Amino acid sequence: MVFSTLEHILTHISFSVVSILISIHWITLLLGNEIIGLYNLLKKGMIITFFCITGLLVTRWIFSGHLPFSNLYESLIFLSWTFSIFYMVLCFKKKKNYYFNTIITPSILFTQGFATSGLLTEMHESFKLVPALQSHWLMMHVSMMILGYTTLLCGSLISVAILVITFQELIQIFGKSKTFFFFYESFSFAEIKYMNMNDKKNILQQTPFPFYSSYRNYYRYQFIQQLDRWGYRTISLGFIFLTIGNISGAVWANEAWGSYWNWDPKETWAFITWTIFAIYLHTRKNKKLEYRNSSIVASMGFLIIWICYLGINLLGLGLHSYGSFTPN
Amino acid sequence: MKALSAINSTNPCLPNTHFLKVPIFHPFFKFNPFSQPYNVHGHAANRAHKLPFTISCKLKSSRDVENKGKSVAQKIVLSEASPPPLTEDDVTNGDTGNVPQSSKKKKGGPFGLLNMLRRKTLQILSSLPLAIADMFAAAALMALGTFIEQGEAPDFYIQKYPEDNPVFGFFTWRWILALGFDHMFSSPVFLGVLALLGASLMACTYTTQLPLITVSRRWSFLHSAEAIRKQEFSESLPRASIQDVGTILMGAGYEVFLKGPSLYAFKGLAGRLAPVGVHIALLLVMAGGTVSAAGSFRGSVTVPQGLNFVVGDVLVPSGFLSSPTEAFNTEIHVNRFYMDYYESGEVSQFYTDLSLRNMDGKEVMRKTISVNDPLRYGGITIYQTDWSISALQILKDNEGPYNLAMAPLQINGDKKLYGTFLPVGDINSPDVKGISMLARDLQSIVLYDKEGKFVGVRRPNSKLPINIDGSEILIVDAIGSSGLDLKTDPGVPVVYAGFGALMITTCISYLSHSQIWALQDGTTVFIGGKTNRAKMEFPEEMNLLLDKVPEIVESTLPKQADSISG
Repeated sequence: MVFSTLEHILTHISFSVVSILISIHWITLLLGNEIIGLYNLLKKGMIITFFCITGLLVTRWIFSGHLPFSNLYESLIFLSWTFSIFYMVLCFKKKKNYYFNTIITPSILFTQGFATSGLLTEMHESFKLVPALQSHWLMMHVSMMILGYTTLLCGSLISVAILVITFQELIQIFGKSKTFFFFYESFSFAEIKYMNMNDKKNILQQTPFPFYSSYRNYYRYQFIQQLDRWGYRTISLGFIFLTIGNISGAVWANEAWGSYWNWDPKETWAFITWTIFAIYLHTRKNKKLEYRNSSIVASMGFLIIWICYLGINLLGLGLHSYGSFTPN
Repeated sequence: MKALSAINSTNPCLPNTHFLKVPIFHPFFKFNPFSQPYNVHGHAANRAHKLPFTISCKLKSSRDVENKGKSVAQKIVLSEASPPPLTEDDVTNGDTGNVPQSSKKKKGGPFGLLNMLRRKTLQILSSLPLAIADMFAAAALMALGTFIEQGEAPDFYIQKYPEDNPVFGFFTWRWILALGFDHMFSSPVFLGVLALLGASLMACTYTTQLPLITVSRRWSFLHSAEAIRKQEFSESLPRASIQDVGTILMGAGYEVFLKGPSLYAFKGLAGRLAPVGVHIALLLVMAGGTVSAAGSFRGSVTVPQGLNFVVGDVLVPSGFLSSPTEAFNTEIHVNRFYMDYYESGEVSQFYTDLSLRNMDGKEVMRKTISVNDPLRYGGITIYQTDWSISALQILKDNEGPYNLAMAPLQINGDKKLYGTFLPVGDINSPDVKGISMLARDLQSIVLYDKEGKFVGVRRPNSKLPINIDGSEILIVDAIGSSGLDLKTDPGVPVVYAGFGALMITTCISYLSHSQIWALQDGTTVFIGGKTNRAKMEFPEEMNLLLDKVPEIVESTLPKQADSISG
């Protein structure tokens, strides 16, 4: 079984490389130093991961004879592949934002880890395509959906980060009390994160102490604003993919199942996801609903994507049952 | 944090106000570089404002080498092509639809009241919080619809959601049945929410978005450095010329308009207008969905191979607009139903060979359909959706053939199992025994003797007899029946048009509408700009572009002017 051995090796390499990358990310995050060597290492590591996952997908494609989108395992691998593409795109962009990559790396680890975990072992061997999946729409629909999920997950994770960072203010609103001490502790991490941004500007070090807090506030505010804008752009992009994915799914359903809309649970949840992110885009239009509200909506979207992607499959409901946990 | 929210939000009403104040630019484009003096002083603006011009590709700034070329020339054609018909004189006439609207309001009588009511309704419907709340409500109802089992009998809900043990302390079957949540996606509550969403879409498109088109198509100049500095991005370039800035912006794909010392440039206008298209596309999809719901027919039928049926007998109207057509008289004959298998034995595809015959019995169409490849004829679509085994054809001791009807057996899981029974011995005795035959698909039949013991497996058409309890059984054929879904749906073209428009406009919506204003004040150029989406990239892009603007040393001024005219 050359195929399974190869697959095994590729999975393990990518998994271990990603876990090393995560530790490097944590180190740079905590130390806050711009060590060029480390960043190069990150980039190279992600290139290795990318090629491993690509190899994994290509071998599966060659050995099964169809696009590797036929079950949950394959779509999870594809999800981590799109995450790594995202990482690469950001790496090769002129303006680097490593905090974005810090969010993506654990995402790759989790999806990769989940896909290769014992939970889905029966699924590792590739299956023949069931009749309903034998269509050219498979590529369009699944790739667009997964791409949309990836982009939206990244964007909504940024929003979650904003919420975590600004959570302190939320607590201040509710009044300071000892019970929140624990939370303050956990915020120190977030503070480190935005202080790293300050380090990059090399202003903090030159600033005398009395101005420290105001400068900190200024950069903190800038950091949040940056996150917010990045999140908005990412989610808008993901929304395009999700729209195209949903529409291609509807057109495909009209070819295969007899109607472009069946209120199948998976369809319904994809539509709910779409609605939630449409709400997100609309909250940005309103001055009164400031970034925190839109972040809350996006964080809800984060949960809803997972319900849509895994939750519905977990229940094995409806016509999309080939994506479920049990092999058909 | 308040400052952040102010910067973040784009207020669509904001441009309205300064459009009123700013004299509208005369859209008469004349390329006249010689008559246009190289203005560096503010007071020249008054003299020059009747002679507007755009910069041509011939205009070269000293350091700007990359930005010359075709794209620049094309831009000029573009900006000439789309000037809005507005001059300084008809500011009041051309000033959007607001003016006539307000005059209408002054009218008294019942019409005025009606008008006010209409305006009030529109105002409420187009409010953003309402739309957001409505979308949340729709999402919540849909989620609820996937958690509550749909389309079951009332008894099911009475048992599942009993009154003595309500979910969340209040949710019982009474709620479900009263609100129609047992058929959520056609319940009045859900449809009402959708209708409200549609109404608010329409109101928003009408009151907010369509006026936006007329407003954003116009270009405006800012005449004070103060106003420019207030923009999200602002910069001042000492010893620079506004013409150079214009050329560079043009090279970067901006539409540039120059009037005296003022410059206005924009890019990605489509990105601001596309959301209007998104809303219209959504309305199209909703309209198509309504037509589908009201005017379609559907039906499903399981036809054994070799039999036929009439389309009109199967199709059931789904709404009040459904009206049968000529094609409903077509008779469909199932010539053959068969499956393809992978080497591993799994089904790879189902096929049904169908013949369509008209009233006179003449064949009008013949096609082999499969999953993902339906048949379309006269507005009717026939899908391959299901299958079953209808009969086994056997020879018993070379007698027959007999057709044994197969019955589906209830087993756990989704796998299908069909069985039939061939009695052996006295049929009239109370405990009749016989041979059982079971089949999962059309490939192989498992046979058991009358004691229930496994005897063997035979393939149809294998011509290999099997001996059970003294009788020789030969399985001649397994006859499948094809499960077909039929439908007519007049809404599909509308919905597809909406889908296409939705995809395109959503993609265009990603474009960011950037606007740049610049003002020459002495030798300094003040530049300010804003963009509605790409707020991260915009300052970077601006800084990159402004780095290219050449610095002017006083003595080289005449030379600069030469290069402009040349």
